[in-house]
Amino acid sequence: MSKSTSVAQPSRLSMIWHKWRFHINVLLLLIPLGFMPKYFADAALFRGDSGLGEREIGEIQVGPWSLRLAELRDEAPRSDGPAGYLKGFNAALCDACIEPVKATYLRIGKPRSLRAAGSIFFGTPYRMGIQLPVPEKTRADAELWITMEGWDGSMHQASIPLSQASPATVAWLNKQGAKP
Amino acid sequence: MRAGRVGKSHDRPFRDSHAAKPVASSPLTESRPVIMSKKSRSKLWFLVHSWLALPIWFFVLIVCVTGTLAVVSQEIVWLANPQMRASAPSDDAPRLSYDQILAEIKKAEPQTLVQSINRPDESHFALDVDVSYPDGRSLTVYVNPYTGVIQGTAPNFNFKAFTRALHGWWLVPFTNGFSWGWYLVSFLGLPMLASLVTGLVVYKRFWKGFFRPTLRFNHGARIFWGDFHRLSGIWSIWFIAVISITGTWFLIQALLSDNQISISSEPIIPAMSREAVPLSSDGSPPPRISLDRAIEIAQTKIPGLEASFISLPGNAYAHMDIGGRGWYPLMYQTATLNPYSGDVAASRLLSDRTSLEFVTESMRPLHTGDFGGLWIKLIWFFFGLLLSMMVLSGLLIWTKRTALATANALKREHKKQRVQAQPALRRETSEANL
Repeated sequence: MSKSTSVAQPSRLSMIWHKWRFHINVLLLLIPLGFMPKYFADAALFRGDSGLGEREIGEIQVGPWSLRLAELRDEAPRSDGPAGYLKGFNAALCDACIEPVKATYLRIGKPRSLRAAGSIFFGTPYRMGIQLPVPEKTRADAELWITMEGWDGSMHQASIPLSQASPATVAWLNKQGAKP
Repeated sequence: MRAGRVGKSHDRPFRDSHAAKPVASSPLTESRPVIMSKKSRSKLWFLVHSWLALPIWFFVLIVCVTGTLAVVSQEIVWLANPQMRASAPSDDAPRLSYDQILAEIKKAEPQTLVQSINRPDESHFALDVDVSYPDGRSLTVYVNPYTGVIQGTAPNFNFKAFTRALHGWWLVPFTNGFSWGWYLVSFLGLPMLASLVTGLVVYKRFWKGFFRPTLRFNHGARIFWGDFHRLSGIWSIWFIAVISITGTWFLIQALLSDNQISISSEPIIPAMSREAVPLSSDGSPPPRISLDRAIEIAQTKIPGLEASFISLPGNAYAHMDIGGRGWYPLMYQTATLNPYSGDVAASRLLSDRTSLEFVTESMRPLHTGDFGGLWIKLIWFFFGLLLSMMVLSGLLIWTKRTALATANALKREHKKQRVQAQPALRRETSEANL
């Protein structure tokens, strides 16, 4: 700030500026105040107080078993640097499958074998989560495959259209496709 | 008010002549420019010192205050929530083993699944147990370490997490790498370090303040806050250095991470292979080793390990982790085990760290003061308060002296219709002398 101008023309405005210029930074407090609702909404989301995720996909039958699937956030995949884009899903197993199910996997596109079943869910049968890699070149009509593996070695699969699993992801893919 | 300041500045020529003693043989005319330049240099340093925090004083103040609160946030929650306290049924009651704790939880709430058990450093805290409920909620519950009784769930409003989030990243969410709030706060480490250095440069022979502490109460607010600022400043040198250097490390850490630069020597442990996980003919989960057995195995790998946390496997192919502090209290040593066979998949000891990691991994505990129990926390809390007060006293000194002087000077200049700006500026800096 220039002293000579304020001395030459000590207008009302410049007096106010001089009086308050070092208190303007109080306005920085507006940042945490603005983010506070988001902070508490996120805390509730991670505690599971606001349900399985931001958007419930519904109950999906997988052979003799079933699970409830939800999008952690109702939004497009997030960039994770070199790992590419990740999309968070949460799931809860049916009461009858808590004992017999060994592992649950998610993959975009049909897995060729159990070894390529995709990403594995972490957590408890009541609430488990996954960060699923979504390649940018994924076709908008792709399918999301759920693989469930039993402790006895059995395997069951089911799929739902990606558009049903995550409309936000499909919208994002369509936008990506529009890019040259 | 003025007398104090004049008295102070009278010290200066005396000191300078003192400093010039080695070249006492040189003619007086030659030493004179040296005095002048030294004086103007310290004026410049003073201006730098004032300007480092002044335009953002409120932001710095709130970051200091929230940081101070965050240090004792666990204790505050403890005071507010009786269910977080570890009351022993009798003086000689032994603590239950981790297996006994699990069994007690299973007995009280058969449906509840335990994800991890954490024994806080201070024995007056109940165990923090992360659990998952059938309704899908994941919560921390407080479990009595002597009886295994679930004393209550952590309150919905997590004060500890909130103060840390407010202090650490100004509540700005992490969406892609580090939050920009994290950068905003951790950047303050640099001006804080610069404030420390310039403060010591301006406050000539500050070490004398240790032997002759000055805190004048009867000379008006300006003198009092000036004395306070200097006195708490010199006693806080070590603390300000620790906080600003570790704070700057948080900035570097974010920069490294967001540019995908890793300095970690820790190997990434792959998930267990299909063969390492047994199948069962009846379709029920195979038995896992007990927690106490797991701790025994971990202790063979890490001699003297006192397990302060156990994380149970996150799925059928995941390991369990057991860890505790070593002889160097700022770091944890951990063992990663196959939960079915007890095979040690990996361990991370103090000796596995590179010397760079010894420094960088010490940064966080040094910043938060949570490495040696309540007393260290209280020391950090006290100096945190002092640091917050230094921001405030610095501002008060400025408003009471320099800003006022500047405003008066401006008014006078205006009355006299003198357009020249120099005198006003000079007045501001000369009045700013300590």
